[in-house]
Amino acid sequence: MPTLPTTISTNAGLLLRYLPAVLAVGLIAYAIVAGGHFVTLAGFALIYAVFVTGLNIFMGYAGQASFGQNAFAAIGGYASAVLTATYGWPPIPALIVGAAGAALCAVVIGYPTLRLRGHYLAMATLAIGLIVYEVTVQWQSVTQGYMGISGIPPLGIGSWEVTSDRAQLIMLSIVVTLCMASAWLIRNSRFGRAIVALSGSEDAARALGVDVARYKLAAFVVSAVYASLAGSLFVHIVGFVSPEVFGMHMVILGFTMLYVGGIGTITGPLVGAIVINLLPETFRGLKDYQDLVYGAALILLLIYAPGGLASLGNALKRRPSTPIPATAPKGARP
Amino acid sequence: MNRLGVHALTRRFGGLVANDSISFDVPVEGISAVIGPNGAGKTTLFSMISGFLEPSEGRVVFEGEDVTGVAPERIAARGLVRTFQLAQLFQNLTVLENVKVGRHIRTKAGLWAALARPAWARREEAETERRARELIAFVGLGDQADARAAALPYGQQRLLEIARALAAEPKLLLLDEPAAGLNHDETERLSGIIRRIAAQGTTVLLIEHDMKLVMNTADRIVVLNFGRKIAEGTPTEVQGNPQVIEAYLGGVETPHV
Amino acid sequence: MFDLAYFSQTLVNGLSVGCIYGLIGIGFCVIYNASGIVNFAQGAFVMLGGMITYVLLTTLHLPMIVAGSIAIIVVALLGVLIERIVVRPLWDRNATMFVMILATLAVQIVIERTTLILVGDQPKSIPVFTDLPPIRIGGVSIGYQTLWIIGVSLVLIALLALFFQKTLVGRAMRACSINREAAALQGIPVSRMLALSFALSAALGAIAGILLTPTQFTAFNVGTPFAISGFIAAIVGGFGRPFGAFLGGIALGLAQALAVFGLGSGLKNVAALSVLLIFLFLRPSGILGAAK
Ligand SMILES: Nc1ncnc2c1ncn2[C@@H]1O[C@H](COP(=O)(O)OP(=O)(O)O)[C@@H](O)[C@H]1O
Ligand SMILES: [Mg+2]
Repeated sequence: MPTLPTTISTNAGLLLRYLPAVLAVGLIAYAIVAGGHFVTLAGFALIYAVFVTGLNIFMGYAGQASFGQNAFAAIGGYASAVLTATYGWPPIPALIVGAAGAALCAVVIGYPTLRLRGHYLAMATLAIGLIVYEVTVQWQSVTQGYMGISGIPPLGIGSWEVTSDRAQLIMLSIVVTLCMASAWLIRNSRFGRAIVALSGSEDAARALGVDVARYKLAAFVVSAVYASLAGSLFVHIVGFVSPEVFGMHMVILGFTMLYVGGIGTITGPLVGAIVINLLPETFRGLKDYQDLVYGAALILLLIYAPGGLASLGNALKRRPSTPIPATAPKGARP
Repeated sequence: MNRLGVHALTRRFGGLVANDSISFDVPVEGISAVIGPNGAGKTTLFSMISGFLEPSEGRVVFEGEDVTGVAPERIAARGLVRTFQLAQLFQNLTVLENVKVGRHIRTKAGLWAALARPAWARREEAETERRARELIAFVGLGDQADARAAALPYGQQRLLEIARALAAEPKLLLLDEPAAGLNHDETERLSGIIRRIAAQGTTVLLIEHDMKLVMNTADRIVVLNFGRKIAEGTPTEVQGNPQVIEAYLGGVETPHV
Repeated sequence: MFDLAYFSQTLVNGLSVGCIYGLIGIGFCVIYNASGIVNFAQGAFVMLGGMITYVLLTTLHLPMIVAGSIAIIVVALLGVLIERIVVRPLWDRNATMFVMILATLAVQIVIERTTLILVGDQPKSIPVFTDLPPIRIGGVSIGYQTLWIIGVSLVLIALLALFFQKTLVGRAMRACSINREAAALQGIPVSRMLALSFALSAALGAIAGILLTPTQFTAFNVGTPFAISGFIAAIVGGFGRPFGAFLGGIALGLAQALAVFGLGSGLKNVAALSVLLIFLFLRPSGILGAAK
């Protein structure tokens, strides 16, 4: 084997791998500098990046399916909204209470279902998504039903509040960086290896002493906490919350972002969130078409690019030298 | 003392008796083997010993303690680790990471340690890394540490599975047909590796189909046929046993009921 | 005070909606048995059954029996289409269960959103099959539609039993559910069974939707709650056992009715999910024990 060409193609591969992430960071930086309409878009992208990072830990690493992440975002979002706007709590304790509530809810659903095969949890999470939606609509004394809650204060500590668009974007960038760093720390640890291992073979993981049910549950709770954080961030940035905010579209959008950015990678969630948020405005204005388009896009991605768009590029690039096993999509196995 | 005691283990699948009251002991020293034709019930036996399959009747005693019905991960934590007949790698981890997962029961860093990285956890991780690299080198995969496990050829996957199991520092290692799918050279190498594992104090119990490998690796052999134990002894004793010869020469007539 | 008449009325309603859950649950089992796939688009078939019937009744003014039959056929064909263009490519690639679940859920969303765009978000209803005043027994009134639901469900159960026991195709499907590899070795076209299972399951869903719509309504987004209830029915019945699923549906319908009776109607779905979680906790293999 001549070494030179290999080195070059490795470098090209590396570049290709990090290019989307570099572009993503560049876009956020540009938004901070340029300001205006772009800031709002970038802000939503960053909030979704937090949401999808959590999804990625449970789906990309542990290889399990949850359709109820929007419920956890709703729990976080409503806890923040009600506690700060109605009861005048400071944002940070409210956010922590929301995350604890989401974690508790994840344990209640995950404990009985995660010992069983994947579709049990998937269906139970689908149900919890609907139930939390119903609760937010019907528990009017607290959530004000369809009307929603407005006047939610911006995030801040003490008397210091993050109010300007740019300051918020910088804060979100920091939060996303911390989230991605923690995802990296989790992935490259004994805990992270155990959950990625069980997604490859539960039997082999058990044979090596990994308590599979417990680790799945832990990954589920972690992903719920990320989702809850995203929900809290959202209500503080927008200043308003209603049941529709955390609907099923959030889940489909999250999956599409994950598959576009690359499931099971550290930067995939950020890249996916930015790509999907900055897609042509045509999709964004029309919410009905939006879900349709993302649903269809998700099906196509699952069939034709199971490792995400990035893997499609890699596969094309690398085909001449190393054949990619067609049956082993990156990320998820049940 | 024996490492493992199998007492009248029976497993039925509907009407089929896959294991029929099998008993034997595995001493601490040396390499023991379970042999028998395809479908004899060897894998079923291993699955019951390692907790993956509940016995219909009988008991498994490991290190003097009854472990019948204990969950596989708990049995593993006590030092009994198995491999699978079809290599079951963690496809999305690298070769090195696969072996690191093998250290799971010997380490304890959890979620908080992952996030906070206290000094003890960093030390533990460094030690894990060192042991894992050692083992990869031991099975001859040293230059593949960062390859994705799924990208290895099958023969090397089997070796990786053994390295991963060894990382757990088991007291008893169960290998289910470790030589299946290996070529002649690889089988030779495997045979050397297994002997070295045993020499280092790990009890090895292996299932093998390939008589030649068994005869020059194992110290003791248990022979199964149609779910029953038909012979037990040293390789020479077993080789001369007429029932074993019959089972292996494909005698249609079976010593039944 | 305890109101016996109202209580009995609640139970009758629970029974009829339970039959619907049961039919949907059978739909889950039929596909699961043929392929090991849990089809998360099951609810779309239920919604479309009612919706297509509504559209045919209001635009072409067809008689109910014709409109309903066409709806069932269209939905069954759609089932086959989904199998061909989404499930089959993934199946051929040995996609994981996780990917399969996600893909079928995406199909559900696509169908739901397409329906929203085509017919809008207003609830639609269709007339009852027999327009006579309800039968009164004591203080309980039983509408004819309730009788239709229970009657048609029972007939369908009987037909399915005959189909699985007596016909070659039905027996082949059962063989697939017991052991797919062995069935393939015996020359059963396993992949055609997969398409057939989607058609059968879609048709059952559509029938459930048509039966139910006159007593409630249908809208683009009713599918998912029905899918969840049907799935719970299947679990309570021991996943993979069609007749268990029917019993499970009735059990769930009654449990939900009791929850509504005792706690108010806002808790219908909470009650259903609680049944699921409690069941999975105590008896994951279902009332009759798991299939296989
Ligand atoms: N899960 C199972 N269900 C039904 N039959 C099984 C199962 N596992 C093994 N068997 C049957 O038990 C017998 C022994 O199988 P096995 O232990 O795999 O044999 P071996 O490993 O010696 O080839 C075979 O006839 C096999 O078909
Ligand atoms: Mg075997």
